Amino acid sequence: MAQPMPDAFQVIADPSRRQMLHLLSKDSMTINSLAENFDMSRPAVSKHVKILYGAGFIDIQDIGRERYCTLKKDGFNQLQEWINYFDNFWGAKLKKLEFILNQKTKN
Amino acid sequence: MKDNISHSLFVPQQPDEVWEYLTRPDLMELWLMKNDFEPVVGRQFRFMTNPIPKFDFDGITYCTVLEVDPCKKLSYSWKSGPGDGLITVDSLVTWTLTPKDGGTELLLEHTGFKEARHFAIFSALDGGWFSNIKKIAQLLNDTPHGATNA
Repeated sequence: MAQPMPDAFQVIADPSRRQMLHLLSKDSMTINSLAENFDMSRPAVSKHVKILYGAGFIDIQDIGRERYCTLKKDGFNQLQEWINYFDNFWGAKLKKLEFILNQKTKN
Repeated sequence: MKDNISHSLFVPQQPDEVWEYLTRPDLMELWLMKNDFEPVVGRQFRFMTNPIPKFDFDGITYCTVLEVDPCKKLSYSWKSGPGDGLITVDSLVTWTLTPKDGGTELLLEHTGFKEARHFAIFSALDGGWFSNIKKIAQLLNDTPHGATNA
């Protein structure tokens, strides 16, 4: 893979990948059974699976002859971290604004 | 998964005075970030801060003013990414000012994280994850390499 690994937001910006995660949220699946749900080539499915794996959204386990995909939390945690970052960001900024306005009242 | 943010603040100043701090670039910079804001609908402006490589954030937030209701409401889009025009966070910031007890109640809402919203569903799935992992663990019992780190 020559292109850089997309981040969590880019990974789930793609509708096919979101659909794959939805399917996997119900049960773990082999790459073959996952592919049956999509009107795209096997290599195309494999590419999406690789991206999901690379960004920590799924795990892939070889069991016998099959490759099983399972949801993994890491990718989702990255999204949550970003939202938490903004939550803390605004909390801190508003404290600063409150402080400035309170100082003004005193003067 | 939490997909929106809100904070409220009561200050003793009147809404018109608070409004200045939300709309004058020099005053905004005192508590928020360096910016080239103008309170005009359609105005494109930027907030500038330090990059956060961990989040693929180059330090620049690209905004467009969407609503200006003087001393009452202000909203703008809030987009950022790793640089080169690539946007990975596409969201909305809304300020609402309400006169209250001789002062102002200021409400900030940061919402519409488009991608994150699709994943609200997964917040309820913790149980699902673990049952999935258990199934895999069962299948792996027959195999020599049985690592099942969740």
